[in-house]
Amino acid sequence: MKFDTVIIGGGLAGLTAGLRLQQKGKSVAIVSAGQNALHFSSGTFGVLNEGAEIPENHPYMKLNLEGYLAEVIPFFASAGVVLKGNPLKNSWRITPMGKRQEARFFMEDADPLEGKDTLIGKKALVVSFPGFLDFNTSFLAASLEKSGTAVRIELLALPEMDRLRENPSEMRSVNVARVMDRAWNKVVSEVKLLLKGEDVIVLPQVFGLKDSAIVSAIRESFDQKVLFVGTMPPSVPGMRTQMKLKQSFEAAGGTFLMGDEVLSAEISSERVVSVKTRNLGDHALEADAFILASGSYFSKGLSATTEEVFEPLFGLDVNFSEGRSSWYDADFYSAQPFNNFGVMTDEKFRALKEGKPVLNLYAAGSVLGGADALRLGCGAGVAILSGLAVADAIAPESK
Amino acid sequence: MANNYKDNEFDVIIVGGGITGAGTARDCAMRGLKVLLIERHDIATGATGRNHGLLHSGARYAVTDKESATECIEENMILRRIARHCVDETEGFFITLPEDDLDYQKKFVESCLAAGISAEVIDPKDAIRMEPSVNPDLIGAVKVPDGSVDPFRLCAANMLDAKLHGAKILVYTEVTSFIKEGDTVRGVKVVDTKTGQEAEYYAPVTVNAAGIWGHGIAAMAGANIGMFPAKGALLIFAHRVNSIVINRCRKPANADILVPGDTVCVIGTTSTKVPFEECDNMHVTPDEVDLLLTEGAKLAPSLASTRILRAYAGVRPLVSADNDPSGRNISRGIVCLDHETRDGIKGFVSITGGKLMTYRLMAEQATDVVCRKLGIDRSCETAVIPLPGSEGGKTEEVSKKIWAAPTTAQKASAGRAGTRARGISFDNSVDAALVCECEEVSVGEVKSAIENLEVHNLVDLRRRTRVGMGTCQGELCACRAAGLLGKAHGCTERAEKDLRSFMNERWKGMYPIAWGNTLREADYTQWVYNQVLGFNVEE
Repeated sequence: MKFDTVIIGGGLAGLTAGLRLQQKGKSVAIVSAGQNALHFSSGTFGVLNEGAEIPENHPYMKLNLEGYLAEVIPFFASAGVVLKGNPLKNSWRITPMGKRQEARFFMEDADPLEGKDTLIGKKALVVSFPGFLDFNTSFLAASLEKSGTAVRIELLALPEMDRLRENPSEMRSVNVARVMDRAWNKVVSEVKLLLKGEDVIVLPQVFGLKDSAIVSAIRESFDQKVLFVGTMPPSVPGMRTQMKLKQSFEAAGGTFLMGDEVLSAEISSERVVSVKTRNLGDHALEADAFILASGSYFSKGLSATTEEVFEPLFGLDVNFSEGRSSWYDADFYSAQPFNNFGVMTDEKFRALKEGKPVLNLYAAGSVLGGADALRLGCGAGVAILSGLAVADAIAPESK
Repeated sequence: MANNYKDNEFDVIIVGGGITGAGTARDCAMRGLKVLLIERHDIATGATGRNHGLLHSGARYAVTDKESATECIEENMILRRIARHCVDETEGFFITLPEDDLDYQKKFVESCLAAGISAEVIDPKDAIRMEPSVNPDLIGAVKVPDGSVDPFRLCAANMLDAKLHGAKILVYTEVTSFIKEGDTVRGVKVVDTKTGQEAEYYAPVTVNAAGIWGHGIAAMAGANIGMFPAKGALLIFAHRVNSIVINRCRKPANADILVPGDTVCVIGTTSTKVPFEECDNMHVTPDEVDLLLTEGAKLAPSLASTRILRAYAGVRPLVSADNDPSGRNISRGIVCLDHETRDGIKGFVSITGGKLMTYRLMAEQATDVVCRKLGIDRSCETAVIPLPGSEGGKTEEVSKKIWAAPTTAQKASAGRAGTRARGISFDNSVDAALVCECEEVSVGEVKSAIENLEVHNLVDLRRRTRVGMGTCQGELCACRAAGLLGKAHGCTERAEKDLRSFMNERWKGMYPIAWGNTLREADYTQWVYNQVLGFNVEE
């Protein structure tokens, strides 16, 4: 099978690059092993924490940062994903633990607050469901109270959720969201009865797994402000966004090989000729260009033994330090050096192998080295912007 | 006793909330004494919670230390009766590998039999059939009555029974000095480590059961015990690779015991002398990890490719003989010191040395001394009366006696709490919901632990219920449990602080093994806490 470009990895970086290339008229196949960071999303995209300096070897140093940032909202709109936020300035969201976290772009059911201390309202009604442990109302309420908002918590017992409760491990955000696809308007009518003069309603992000229209419909049902706050993973807005991107990619003619995994690659004269996957067996995928968007350790884009951190598919160069005691910090919350390790590339994001670029192999997203996503808050930004940049490097001409 | 006492007066004060202190508190309380137990941290935080969890048959000591071996097998049989819900009767193998001397096996079997330990030579082929994970190159195997024991559960059950017999337990309370009158210890001054509140407690006898920290406690009372902290590092694997304990049939050495326990298995240990200053903060080094892995794979080759869950280390309280200040003549036996006859300090007893396996015997010996000092003549019953949770028949039967058709979560609860699982609510769907999916711990079990088992924080809760001990090491269940604790204690701020330190404590056991799947898990956990939940270092 021959494509213009084959992308290894169906997460945010792979889908961004794939959709961009497909929009430019290229034929693209994405090989996706399964879940990715979008499933564990915060409902927002971070680009760079306020005040953080971009290190010398960071992927942003190889692309036109401001230019690409201006493209993000229209690009996602073309995929049917509504993003909010100022492309050049961070806003704040409320986390599932009630903390305030900065981010650049906000999915439809994430609500940008202007500042870290912005008051969400005078009186808030926080709504959850009995036994739904993954939406921590008490933490949320405590932090809202601290910021000056009076809070009342109400738990809605809906008979529609009884079936979920029969199995003790079913009460998770995605399962709740599946019920809410049918029962959301009942939540609206019940919440209306519960309101006692509150000016803001806080709901968990468990609405509109397939379509954010439910989110808008809920907002429109109330005169009050409605604020959606994240749950423990998995993330409903993240999964919806992933699904939308994939559908748009396929609608544009792309081939998405779901649940498949690249097992081996053939490299000849400094170029990748083809890759073989688990499901396709001996039928190799050939392409003019390849994009490695296989993610970090969690997605197995990077692996480690007791001796080294390596890129398992192509054996690309990784910027890890010698001696594994130098990979971590004993404090869980401090910067962990291993988060900075990843594949090294040239200025055009072509991956290096033994110091030399593989001429048609590009790397994008969290497999890249030099980007400590946790310290800099740049995880999604690196995925999206390097995805766009790599696509433009492969197909410089616009359609 | 216990008639006209003031609130701060007791018959006996026990310092140390490990298994020895807990056992001594139970024994003293069962003999009718008014007991106060004081622990600086939580129960089972020292060596009690940092070992293999091996129910020794005594075979390991048979050749080198017959006295210890005999004590072990006797206590082994007692624990099978009184602590059923803490014990897993797995049996054990002592295997001989090609590089070991097969002649040692003969001496080993003879020594076991002489100590009263059944030891049956097994054909290597049969050994492989019985325990498929064992190194297939083995040239000899001996079956002995080893097993596994959950030290947290055992300690909690002793504490609970002491309480049921009227003992008062003060955790997170530190002894700051002894109240002495001349050469007599009258009581202790303490401070509540959480509130800073100070208090004084009085009793005619104080028992020092503080493990390696007993060295400092004794010094505070004016006595010197020659102790040597010996660090032992261990690794927990994410699967129960073996179902039978596997030991090497040779002189005891590093990393030669693999013990199955609950859903995991544990390899250990190393042995290094460490300074006293390090006892409060043990770190496992890369060299120790490498040694444990190399030696462990010789017992069960599949360990080399099995995911490691965590690394941890404990400190053995080794005591040197009184006439040997050099520490060369180290005993692993029980050391019960009456400081009145030894040092002229009245009202003060130290119980140390020994091991998890012989805690009950240590407690009995210490309680005998206490009773003699108080002029009380009551015999010890701890060897015959079962611990709370162990009164019913076989552990596997317990869940069926409580529920007509127990769910897997109910079976798991009964496995941990024994007959006490009866008190755990599964009545409604909210209580039956799972907090921890890896270990199947329900909301009801967490609530029951918070109400009955002195749970102050998430780490305490983990020791009581196994929340956060499973494959994910507390990724999501810790947040859920923090929510429940916050509600129970009415303070989310404390629960949040607690959650932060719980994750740091989990990380301490993960970073020494941060490669492969552990690094994958760490990558994910860090993403969730930092990016999704918003926990940052700056706070």
